[in-house]
Amino acid sequence: MKSSKALFLEVGGILAAVVTALICGFVVILLTSSEPFTAISALLLDPLSSTFNIGTILNKAVPLILTGLALSVVFQSGVFSMGAEGQLYIGAFVGALAAIYLPAMSPWIHFPLVIVCALLGGALFGMIPGVLKAYLNANEIVTTLMLNFVAILTTSYFVNNQLKAASGGGYAKMENISKDLLLPKIFPGMAAHAGIIIAVVAVIVVYLLMYKTSIGYELRLVGKNGHFARYGGIATRKVIVVSVMISGALAGLAGIVEVLGIHGTFKENFSASLGFDGIIIALLARNHPVGVLIAALFYAYIQVGAQTMQFGSDMPREVAVIIQVMLVLLVSAQAIFTYIKQRYARSGQKAVK
Amino acid sequence: MVWQTIWGQIVDLSLVAVLLRLMTPILLASLGGLISDIGGVINIGLEGLMLMSAFTSIAVGSSTGNWAVGVLAGVATSVLISYGMGFFSLKMKVDIIITGFAVNIFGSGFTIFLMSKLYGMTGNYSPTGAPRIPVVNIPFIEDVPVLGKLLSGHSLMVWIALLSVAFCMFLIYRTPYGVHLRSVGEAPYAAQSLGIPAKRIQYSALAWSGAFAGLAGAFMSNGLTNMFVKDMTAGTGFLALAVVLLGNRNPIGILLGSLIFGLASALATIVQTVPNSPIPSQFIQMIPYVVTIAALVFFALRNKRRLATMP
Amino acid sequence: MPILLEMKNIHKVYPNGTAANRGVDLTVHEGEIHALVGENGAGKSTLMKILFGLEAPTDGTIEYKGQTVTFDGPRDAIKQGMGMVHQHFMLAPSLTVSENIVLGDEPKKGVFSLFRDRAKEFQEVEHLISTYGLKVNMQAKVESIPVGQKQRVEILKVLYRGAKLIILDEPTAVLTPQETDELFDSIKALVSQGHTIIFITHKLREVMQISNRITVLRAGKSIATLLTQETNQEEISRLMVGRDVLFRVDKIPAEPKDVVLSVRDLGALDDKGALALKGVSFSIRGGEVLGIAGVEGNGQTELVEVITGLRKATSGEVRYQNKDLLAASVAEIRRMKVGHVPEDRQTAGASLTSSIAENLILDHYRNPDFKWGPFINKKKVKQFAKIMMETFDVRAQNEETMAGALSGGNLQKVVVARELSKNPLLLIASQPTRGVDIGAIEFIHREIIKRRDGGAAVMVVSAELSEVMALSDRIIVLYDGEIVALLDNTPDLTEQEIGYYMLGIKKQEQEATR
Repeated sequence: MKSSKALFLEVGGILAAVVTALICGFVVILLTSSEPFTAISALLLDPLSSTFNIGTILNKAVPLILTGLALSVVFQSGVFSMGAEGQLYIGAFVGALAAIYLPAMSPWIHFPLVIVCALLGGALFGMIPGVLKAYLNANEIVTTLMLNFVAILTTSYFVNNQLKAASGGGYAKMENISKDLLLPKIFPGMAAHAGIIIAVVAVIVVYLLMYKTSIGYELRLVGKNGHFARYGGIATRKVIVVSVMISGALAGLAGIVEVLGIHGTFKENFSASLGFDGIIIALLARNHPVGVLIAALFYAYIQVGAQTMQFGSDMPREVAVIIQVMLVLLVSAQAIFTYIKQRYARSGQKAVK
Repeated sequence: MVWQTIWGQIVDLSLVAVLLRLMTPILLASLGGLISDIGGVINIGLEGLMLMSAFTSIAVGSSTGNWAVGVLAGVATSVLISYGMGFFSLKMKVDIIITGFAVNIFGSGFTIFLMSKLYGMTGNYSPTGAPRIPVVNIPFIEDVPVLGKLLSGHSLMVWIALLSVAFCMFLIYRTPYGVHLRSVGEAPYAAQSLGIPAKRIQYSALAWSGAFAGLAGAFMSNGLTNMFVKDMTAGTGFLALAVVLLGNRNPIGILLGSLIFGLASALATIVQTVPNSPIPSQFIQMIPYVVTIAALVFFALRNKRRLATMP
Repeated sequence: MPILLEMKNIHKVYPNGTAANRGVDLTVHEGEIHALVGENGAGKSTLMKILFGLEAPTDGTIEYKGQTVTFDGPRDAIKQGMGMVHQHFMLAPSLTVSENIVLGDEPKKGVFSLFRDRAKEFQEVEHLISTYGLKVNMQAKVESIPVGQKQRVEILKVLYRGAKLIILDEPTAVLTPQETDELFDSIKALVSQGHTIIFITHKLREVMQISNRITVLRAGKSIATLLTQETNQEEISRLMVGRDVLFRVDKIPAEPKDVVLSVRDLGALDDKGALALKGVSFSIRGGEVLGIAGVEGNGQTELVEVITGLRKATSGEVRYQNKDLLAASVAEIRRMKVGHVPEDRQTAGASLTSSIAENLILDHYRNPDFKWGPFINKKKVKQFAKIMMETFDVRAQNEETMAGALSGGNLQKVVVARELSKNPLLLIASQPTRGVDIGAIEFIHREIIKRRDGGAAVMVVSAELSEVMALSDRIIVLYDGEIVALLDNTPDLTEQEIGYYMLGIKKQEQEATR
C-alpha cells in the first residue's frame, strides 16, 4: 500500500481524468443534440430514477467487476494478457455443459460444481498463453488475441451443431439450464440478480489474495521488478503462469455468471466485448480490486445512463464511447502521473533524510 | 458437395476473384501495421481506423456522388485519428497498445453513433446509388480465356493494394526515410544520437498506418460491399496484426500472409453457403489464428535453440 | 606538434551532489594518441561526456584549435570535428554496415532528394574502408558481424562525419587479443591520416603499447600528464591508485574458524558467451572477511552470481556447509542462510515501487511466524519492519514509504538490513557502499565487521580498493577471470602493491593463490 499522500494524489489524478472525460462527452452532446440538457440529465440522473435501472446497473456491473478483477490480477504481474474475452467464453461453455449434462443432483452440490467447472475451464485456457509466455517468451498480446478467436469460434461451432438446443427456435444456443441452477433475483421483483453477491465476494477474495497471501506477494513483486523477484528466489515463470490462470478463472466466472444470471443458457456471441471492457476497468482502477468495484459500477452507470439517454432524447447511446475512450487515455497517460509523482517527490523529500 | 463447389470455383477462376477481393483489406491494413511496427509504434487500432474510414468514405461518397472524394475523406479521417494516437502515445506517454485499444473501441462506437445521428439508422446504412470504387476491366485481355479472368474485372482497390506492396518495399528499403524508420524502431538512441528526429518519424509511421487502414476501410464499404454495417470489419484488423507477425517484417512476407489468410476467408465463405459441408466454417475461420500461434511458438522455440547453442 | 585541445580546470557537479570532475586539465596535441587513465569513478567518462557535448561543465573552459568552444550537444560536437566511439555500441542490428555508417546523413538523389543514392553510399564507404584499412563487409547486417568489426563500423561512422579528434571509450574491453591488435593497427592508420586520438582505458599494458602521452585521473582530479616513453606501468599504477579516501574501521584481529565456503576451479561464461571465470579456487572461513579486489569487469560479477545461484557455472564446484551449492536453486541458497547484497540495488537489490516493509520481508513472507492462517500477518510485518529500520538506521517516514523515494544510502541500508536479518552464515556483499553517503558507509562497514566477529564468513567484492583494504582479513585480486593474488591484509600491504595485481602488472604463482 502506498503512503496516504501518494494515494490521495493518485486518486485525485483519476478523478480529474473522470471529470475531463465526462466533459468531453458533454461537449459532443452539446454539439450534436437538439436538446443537450435533456440528454445530459438523462445520462447522469436517470439511472437512479427507478429500481429497475438500479438493478440493471448492478447486473451490468457484475461481469465488468469480474473481468476487471481478472485483468487487474494479470496486469499486476506484468503480463499484458488481452484474453479475458476468450477465457470468458470457455468458462461459460464448460460451466454450461456441467449445468446441463451432468446427472441430476442436489442444486447445493450442482451449483458449486458448475462454478468450479467454469473456473477450471477459464484457468486451463489461460494456462496456454501463460506457459507460452513464461517458457517460450511468446508475446502474450498476440497469443491471447488469437486465442480469443479460437475460443469464440470453437464454442460457436459446438453450439451451432452438436449442442444446439432442439427447442431453441433455431437460435444457436444450448439447452436451457434448469431453473434451480440459475441465479435468483436478490430481491423478488428487482432486476438485479445474485451475481452481484458473487462479484463482491470475488472482490474480497482477490483483495485478500493479492495483498495478504504469499502468492499475491510474489505475483505483485514479479510485476514490479522481475530481477528482484529472481534474486529473491521466486520462481518467476511459475508465478506468471499462475497469474494468467487466476485471471482466466475469474474471466470464466464472469462468463458463467452471465449465463446463469441473464441468459439462462450458453448462447452464441452472448458477450458484447465484456472481456475488453474488463481491460478498461482494470486500467481505470489502476489494477486495485476495490478500484475495480468502483470503476465497474461507474462504468455500468454510464452504460445505463447512455441507454436511458437514448430513450429520453435524440442521443444514441454510443456517444458514451467518447467518455470511455477519453477515460482510458487520460488514466493511462503516464506523463500526467509522472508529473504528479514528481510534485509528490519534491514535497516528500523534506521529511526524509 | 463442398469440395465440388470449391473445385468448381478454382476451375472457373472465380475463387481467384473472391480471394483477391477478400485479401485486399487484410493486405492494406497489414501493410499499415507493418510500417508502424517497423517504426516501433505498432498500431493495434487498425480495426477502429478501418471502421471510421469505412463509414466516412461511404457517407462522403454518397453525399458528393464521387467515390474518389469519399475514399480520400475516409483516408483523411484515419490519418487524423492516427495523429491523435501519436499525440496520446508519444506526448502523453500512453502505452501504444492501450492507445490502439482505445481507437478500436472508439471506431466501433463512434461509427454507430454517427450512423444513428446522421442517418437515423441503427444496423446498417445503405444509401441508394452510392458510388462504388470502379472495377478495372482491361479492354482486350478481358476476352482472353484464362488471363481475362485472372487480370480483368477486379476492383481498382485490389490493384492499389498490390501496387502498395511494391510501394512499401520501395519506401522501406530505397528511401532515406525508410532507413531512418527502421533505425528508430530498432535502436532509437542510436538514431537520435545521429540527429534523426525519432518522435517525428514515429508520428509519420502512425500516419502511414492510418492511410493504409483508411484505404482498407474505404474498400470494405465502397468496394467489397456498398454499405456500412456496424462492426463490419469483424476482426480484419486483428487478422492484419497476425499477418504483420507472420510476415517477418517485410512487405513480400505480408503479401504471402495476406494471401493465406484471404484464402482462409474465401474458403470459409464458400463453406458457409454450402449446406452439410464436412469441415465446419468455424474451423476454417480459425486457421489464420491457429497458424499465427503456431508460427509464434515455432519462432520462439527456434530463438531458444539458437541462444542455447551460442558459445 | 601544436596543441589541438585544451580542457582547463573542468568541474562537474551533478544535481544530486556528486562531484565527478573536480578540476581536470587535459591537453592533447595534434596527431597524438593520448591515453586517459584512471580507476572506476575517477571521472574519465564524465570528462569525455563533457567533451562530446553530452554534459555541460559546471566550471572550466574548453579550447579547441585555439578557440574557446561550447558544445550544445553531440550533434554540435560532431559538427566541430569530434567523434566518439562509445563503449556500448549504438548500431541498428538489422541494418547493413554501410546503412549504419551513413545513418542520418545518407547520400540522396532524385526528385526532392527522396531516394537513396546507394551507389554513392557504397562508393563513399568503400573509400573510407580502403583509406583507413578498416576492413568490413559493407553489405553485411550488423547483427551478424563479430564485435571487432562492429567497432570498426563505429569508427567508420565517426570518420564519415569528418571527425578529426576521435575519442575511444574503453575500446578493448570487448575485444579478443587479435581484435585488439587489429584495432591498434587501425589507430595507427588513423593517426597517419592526420587524426588525433584520445584513448580511455585502465589497461596499462595497452597504454604503454600504443600511446604517446598519458593523463592520469584520480578521484575527479587530473594528477599527472606523462610522456609514455618516460614512464612505466608501475609509476602510472601508483599515480592511479593513491590513498585519498581514508576508510578506517576499528576491528579486532580475525579468529577464523572452519571453512564455510569452498570454491574449486570455478568456470563461468558472461552474458555475451565469453569465458568470465577461468578456474577460480579459494575458500572462506567463518569469522573472516575475504575481500575480492579488481577492476570491474574481470569476473567478479559472474563469481557472485554463480555462488548465489543466479548464473550457471560451466565447470568446477562450490561447497557450502558440505552441500553442493551449484546444484541448489536461488531460493534454497537463501534459505541456507546465505546473505547477498547485490551490486545493483536498484535492479536486483530492491523493488523501488514496493514499500520498505515489502522489500524487507522477501525471505520471510512464507515463514509461519509471519502468517495468520493462510494470510500474511500485517501486524507482524509492520513490527518487524519497524525494528529493522530502527536497528539499521533507515531514515524514512515509515515502513510504508516506497523504496524508490529513499536516498541511495538509506536504500542500501534496507538491503543490508534484509540480508542480515536472517543471520547469515555466509554474507556476500558486492559493491556494498557504491553511491552511498559517508554516514551510511560507516554504518554498513561496522555491520559487516560485526557479523564477521559473530562468526559469519564474509566476502566483500569492491572496486573501491580502500574499502577492500579497510574491511578484509585476506584479499584476492581478480584479473581477467583469474585469481592473480592472494594476500594477507597485513599493515605493510600497500594499495600500490594491490594495484599492480589489479592492473595485470604482477601475478602470483599458482600455488600461492590456493
